[in-house]
Amino acid sequence: MAKKNKATRTSSEKGGTAQVATVAQTQPQPAARSGGDERRVIIRAIALKKSYMQKEVETQALRGVNVEIYTGEFISVMGPSGSGKSTFFNMIGALDSPTSGRVFIDEVDVAQLTAVELAFLRCRKIGYIFQSYNLIQYMTALENVTTPMAFAGVGPDEARVRGMSLLEIVGLKERWFHRPIEMSGGQQQRVAIARSMANNPSILLCDEPTANLDLHTGREILTILQRLNRERGVTIICATHDHRMLDICDRLMWIRDGQIERIARRDEVHIEVGAIDDEEH
Amino acid sequence: MKVIDIQQQPTMGFSRTLSITIIGIRYRLFRSLVTVVVIAVAVAFLMNIVGESLIRKSVLENSADRLRELRHAAVWAARLSVPGTAEDIILNLGKAEPDSPLYQESQVLAGFDPGEMQAVHEQVCRAAEYLTFFGELDYGRRRRMVAGAEGSDIFRSLRETGRMERFEDALAGMKSVRFPGTIEQFRDFVGQWPEIEGRVQRIREGRRQAIRQVREVLDGRPVVDALTDATGQFGQAVRAAGFRLGEDEAGAVAREARRMVDVRILEDSVNKPAIRKALSSRLDVLPADVTVQTLWDFVGSRENAEWYLAKMREGELDTAGLTVERTVELAGVDAEFASLVRAEHLGGDLSGGFLGVGERMTWLMLVSMLVCVVGIANAMLMSVTERFREIATLKCLGALDGSIMLMFVLEAALLGVVGGVMGAVGGVLIALGRMIGSFGSLMFGATPAGDLTAAAIAATVVGVVLAAVAAVYPSFKAARLAPMEAMRIE
Repeated sequence: MAKKNKATRTSSEKGGTAQVATVAQTQPQPAARSGGDERRVIIRAIALKKSYMQKEVETQALRGVNVEIYTGEFISVMGPSGSGKSTFFNMIGALDSPTSGRVFIDEVDVAQLTAVELAFLRCRKIGYIFQSYNLIQYMTALENVTTPMAFAGVGPDEARVRGMSLLEIVGLKERWFHRPIEMSGGQQQRVAIARSMANNPSILLCDEPTANLDLHTGREILTILQRLNRERGVTIICATHDHRMLDICDRLMWIRDGQIERIARRDEVHIEVGAIDDEEH
Repeated sequence: MKVIDIQQQPTMGFSRTLSITIIGIRYRLFRSLVTVVVIAVAVAFLMNIVGESLIRKSVLENSADRLRELRHAAVWAARLSVPGTAEDIILNLGKAEPDSPLYQESQVLAGFDPGEMQAVHEQVCRAAEYLTFFGELDYGRRRRMVAGAEGSDIFRSLRETGRMERFEDALAGMKSVRFPGTIEQFRDFVGQWPEIEGRVQRIREGRRQAIRQVREVLDGRPVVDALTDATGQFGQAVRAAGFRLGEDEAGAVAREARRMVDVRILEDSVNKPAIRKALSSRLDVLPADVTVQTLWDFVGSRENAEWYLAKMREGELDTAGLTVERTVELAGVDAEFASLVRAEHLGGDLSGGFLGVGERMTWLMLVSMLVCVVGIANAMLMSVTERFREIATLKCLGALDGSIMLMFVLEAALLGVVGGVMGAVGGVLIALGRMIGSFGSLMFGATPAGDLTAAAIAATVVGVVLAAVAAVYPSFKAARLAPMEAMRIE
C-alpha cells in the first residue's frame, strides 16, 4: 500500500502533533496488563493514524490503531495486502511519522526525539528486516553487517569480530566476502538478519521476511528468528502471510482496512486456522 | 529499569566514511567512470579555452615585440625619407605619451616650447580620436554626415556654412553611433581647426627640414645602406638633424639595416637570368616560377647556400662578403618573419575581456563554464537520485543525515578530483596541439608554463567544487527525508 502512494505530507500533520501533545498528558502511566501479565510494554501505539494525499484524494492507510507490545514477545501481524501492515510497521519502527496519534518505544515518545536521537534508536535499539532484504549492493556480507556498528562508533577490529560471529549465527561465516548479488535470496535475508542484530537491538521489526523465499529457506529464516527470540530475548514483530509463523509466535494480530481487527494468543487461534485461510489471497 | 536508553548518536569518523565511499565508487566503477568522464570533458572544455587564450596571448605578445624589432630599420628608413601626411602625424602623435621620443622629437623639430607642445598634444589627441571615429564609420553614414570629405579635410569642410548643422542632424538620426565626447566639444574643436592644422603643418615642416638635412649627408646613398652606420657618423648626423635616435635603438637599427642590405643583395640576384636559370634547373621548375620565396626556401640549408653563393660568384655578382652561415641565418629570419606576420593576422582582437583574452573568448569561456556546471550538476543529481533506496537503508541502520551527506559529497569530490585532473591535463594538451598547429615554432619559448599550470589548478578546483556543490543539494534533500519516504520516492 505504502509503495503505491506518493506521500504528500498534509497540513493536518502539524495539527496532529498538537493534538497528540494533549493525549500524552492525559495518558496514564503504563499499567500491567489485565490477566496478571507482569511483562513490560515496549511498544505502545495510541490512536495511530496515517493518511496519504494523492491527487487531492486522501487515502487513509491507518485509521486509529491502539496496541501494546511486550518485551520479549514474538508477535505476528497478519492481513491482506493494502491493509496497512507496512504503514503500521514504519510507524512503530520510527521510520515514518504518523499523521496523528503517538508511538511510544519503551515509554519514549518517538515524535519528541531529535534526528540524532532517532538515528541512535534505529542504530542500536531496533533492527529492521525487509521483504526485499535492502542490503547495500556494493558491500560484502561482512561489510553489510558491520556498517551499523560503524555508525554506532564501534572500532573496525571489534566490528569485524562481532560481524563474523553474527554471520556464524546465521550460518554464512564462510561466505563473508560475498556481495549480495552473488548470494541467493535466503542467504541475503540471513545477512540482513545478521545486520539487524549488529548492535544487539531490543526490537526486531520484520516486514514479510519470507515473502520472497521458497518454503524451505523461509523455514530456515523463521528458525533463526525464533532462536533470536528465545535465546536473546529480542522482541520480534513480524508482518507475514506465512502460516508457519503461527507455530512460533506468541500472539497474532490481524489488520484490515487500517484497523486492528483482532489480537489473539496463539493457543486461542490454533483451532481457527481454517478461517484465517480464507482471508489470505 | 528501562530497556531502551536513548542517547545522542555519535558522528561516524571521517576515515570510516571515506572507506565506505571508496568501496561504493569501486563497486560502481562504470557509473563512476561515466561521471568522471562528464566532469573531465567539462573541465577539459574550460581548460582548453583558457589555455588557448593564454598561449595565444603570450605568443602574440612575444611576436609583436620581435616584429617591432625586425621592422625597426624599415620604420627609420621611412621616417628619414618622407615627412608623412598630416593624418599620419596626428594619429601617431595622438598615441604617443608626453615622455616618448616621438613627442620630444616633434617638439624639437617644430620648435615648440614645452607649454605649447602640451597644448598641441592635447589638440592632436582630440583630432586623432575624431579621425579614428570617422575612419571607422561605413561609407554611407560618413557620406550623410560629411558628404565626400576624407581625413582632415572633414574638419575643414565642416566649417563651411550649413555643414555643421547637417552633420549634427545626421548624427542625431544614428542612434547606434557613439560619438567621442560631446557635440559642443567637437564644435569648439572644428572652430579651432585652422590653428590646429597650422601647428600640425609646423611639425610636418620641421620634419621636412630635418629630412633635407639628412639627405645632404646621404649624398645619394640609399637610406637603408646609410642606416647600417646608425651607431656611427650617420647616426650622429640623424641626431643633429633633430631626430631622436637612442643609443640602444641605434644598435638594433644598424643590425637590422645590415640585414636588409644583405637580403636585398640576395633577392636582387634571383633576377639575374643566369642565376634564375641555374636555380630553376636545380629545382626542376620553370624559370618564371622562381620567386624570392623560392630562393629563401632553397638557401635554408648549408649545402644549398654554398651552391647558391658559388653560382653568384660564377655570374660575377657582388656577394658583398656574404658567408654561407649568414645566408642560412637570413633564410631563417625570413621564415621567422613570415610566421610572425601570420601570427599577427591570427591575433584578431586581443583587447578587453576577462584576462585580456578578448571579448569573444570571454563569452566562449562563460559558455564553457555553463556547460561545465550543467554537465556536472546533472551527473551528480542522477547518481544521488538513483540511490535514494540506499540512502533510506543507511538511515534505517542509524546513519546520521550529516554522515550520508558527507559520503555523497566525498564521492563527488573524489570523482571531481580525478575528472578535474584528467580534464585539465587533456585540455592543456589539446590547447598546445592546436596552438602548435597555428603558430608552429613560435610556440617554443613563448608558452606561458606558469600561467597554464595556474589555470589547470584553477580548472581542477572548479571541477571539484562544482561536483561537490552539485551533490550537496540532492543528498541533503534525500538525507533529511524519513527513511520510508525516501524509499517510496523510488
